[in-house]
Amino acid sequence: MLGRNLWREDKEGEGQKQERLRWETLYRALLNLVNANRVLLIIAAFLALLPVWAVPLAKPLHLNIVATMQMVGIFTIAAVGLNLLIGYAGQISLGHSAFFGVGAYTSAILAVRAHFPVWLAIIMAIIASAIIGLLVAPILRLKGHYLAMATLGLGLIAFVFMQEMTGLTGGNVGIRDIPGLSIPGLRIATDKGEYYMIWIIALIILALCANLVSSRTGRAIRALHQSDVAASAMGINVSWEKIKVFMFSAALGGLAGGLYAHLQGYIDPNLFYITLSIELVAMVVIGGMESIWGAVAGAGLLTFLPKIVEAVPRWFGQGVPSWVANYGNYQGIVFGLVLILTMIFMPSGITRGLSDFVRYRRSPFVNPYRKKVVE
Amino acid sequence: MGFNIIFNSTGIINFAQGEFAMFGGLFAYSFAVALHLPLLLAVVLAIAATALIGAAMERAVVYPLRNASIITAIIATIGASIFFKAIGFLFWPKVAYKVPEFTSGNLSLPKATVSMQFLWVLGLTAISVVLVYVFFNRTKAGKAMRACSINRQAASLVGINVSRMSLYAFTLAAALGALAGLVNAPFAGYSIGLFLGIKGFTAAILGGLGNTFGAVTGGLVLGISEQLITGFLTLIVGVSTGYENAVAAALLILILLLRPQGLVGRGVVEKV
Repeated sequence: MLGRNLWREDKEGEGQKQERLRWETLYRALLNLVNANRVLLIIAAFLALLPVWAVPLAKPLHLNIVATMQMVGIFTIAAVGLNLLIGYAGQISLGHSAFFGVGAYTSAILAVRAHFPVWLAIIMAIIASAIIGLLVAPILRLKGHYLAMATLGLGLIAFVFMQEMTGLTGGNVGIRDIPGLSIPGLRIATDKGEYYMIWIIALIILALCANLVSSRTGRAIRALHQSDVAASAMGINVSWEKIKVFMFSAALGGLAGGLYAHLQGYIDPNLFYITLSIELVAMVVIGGMESIWGAVAGAGLLTFLPKIVEAVPRWFGQGVPSWVANYGNYQGIVFGLVLILTMIFMPSGITRGLSDFVRYRRSPFVNPYRKKVVE
Repeated sequence: MGFNIIFNSTGIINFAQGEFAMFGGLFAYSFAVALHLPLLLAVVLAIAATALIGAAMERAVVYPLRNASIITAIIATIGASIFFKAIGFLFWPKVAYKVPEFTSGNLSLPKATVSMQFLWVLGLTAISVVLVYVFFNRTKAGKAMRACSINRQAASLVGINVSRMSLYAFTLAAALGALAGLVNAPFAGYSIGLFLGIKGFTAAILGGLGNTFGAVTGGLVLGISEQLITGFLTLIVGVSTGYENAVAAALLILILLLRPQGLVGRGVVEKV
């Protein structure tokens, strides 16, 4: 090694050496970046190519894959924020529909009534959700079941307000004709354009969160999960860290809500009922707690599941008895069963369960969160 | 009260409690109206059937998760709740069913008219409270359940079968839920669910978890204060009555923050 470098030094001048070193550093940095963000790049490549095969398949499958993937992107943003709160910080929230709804309504009202540009409205939605998150932060003093119930109450309050403040929100009628996502000068008002736009934002958020959890703040947050007391003994300001992660998670909920409103073009309170909170939590838990990529997997699985369940009877054409085709609640049965079975057999979520299976040849059905019981 | 019983003996909040009430009402409808059974028999059968569902849920969902974390258990019971509701729609596809009232007609008092069904609600609540109280304080199984709630390991050390107690608790809670559901059925429609759950839990917290009479007192205080606050808001501030459910939820959060041990309970010192 040393000898070769000496030999090279003979051949190249000082300026050339500098040049070479600069390129080498750049190349290394690039390699490191690629290496560190392997998962992100694989996902990005998959997503970039998805419309190529998904669009022709949409018709025979009775399933608009690109449109569904837009929703997956939005739910990924919300779920990754919630995963920071639930999976990393260990604080349960069953009220994230509140932030999603606040984001959606803020953005929609500003864009429709005050004629804000779409992206400014979405930024205001993020800020509004974060502020609401700060205002309700006192409930973070609660723990476990109590926190779960309090946040559930929060979601219900937000729902009632959306329904009753008819002057502002339009009540049950909702708000329609919300302008779509677009960039001035660029025509992206198509399905594919919006799809790419949402996923670019989602991937940026994912990269941000992946870096956040390994930062100083991330370690502090994870310390909270283990024990409040131990964390504060280590010099972590427990309540402030909790408030920070809660606000961040609320802000991401608001961002997802804002994007949702502009994508759908129509919102009403029933979209932001408690069921939405439950779906978001289910995405986190099924995808895998304490895993950034779990949020993607959970959001994907749970968004596609009802669509697939809905599409399956149509694959068989006319042969399906009418009571099967007309019964609209298979989603409920399948969703409920998936929740129960995942919790029993794969409580660490699908990403962790499967990656452990591949990496350690360990059964994905082992529960790493099992409490140690002294028998 | 159903919440209370399950939380007492297993430390799990059962989000499917509202669905037990739903099944109670629906079974009563099927037995009484569709099968033309006498009402009393239909009621007993409906309670038994729902209790069976509760027991099945305990074995299928809760027992495998007995060592799981809180979030896992919450998600699983929510999953059960969604599943039950979908099953309910599969077999009873209409939105609202009317279960015949136990005694139709109204009772005329000097100043007011009270429907007989309301008296049934009051009477049955009183009877079931007394029965549950007696069960928890006088019988061996009830005492064993309370022991489980205080310390499961210690309970199993003195020879209590903890998992069987959990099974009993779910059965009992399902039966009580069914009773609540079918007594209320002529009043309320099909979709008694989450709001009932929130209110039930608030009542249980208000009265102090693990206190039977407390749950009833909590229920009364909650119901009255909810009406008073909503009435106040409507009359003085001039907002619509639609905020009633928000008031209940806000009360829940306030109570959790200010008096998590209940109105009459003492504070619990938590060990690290």
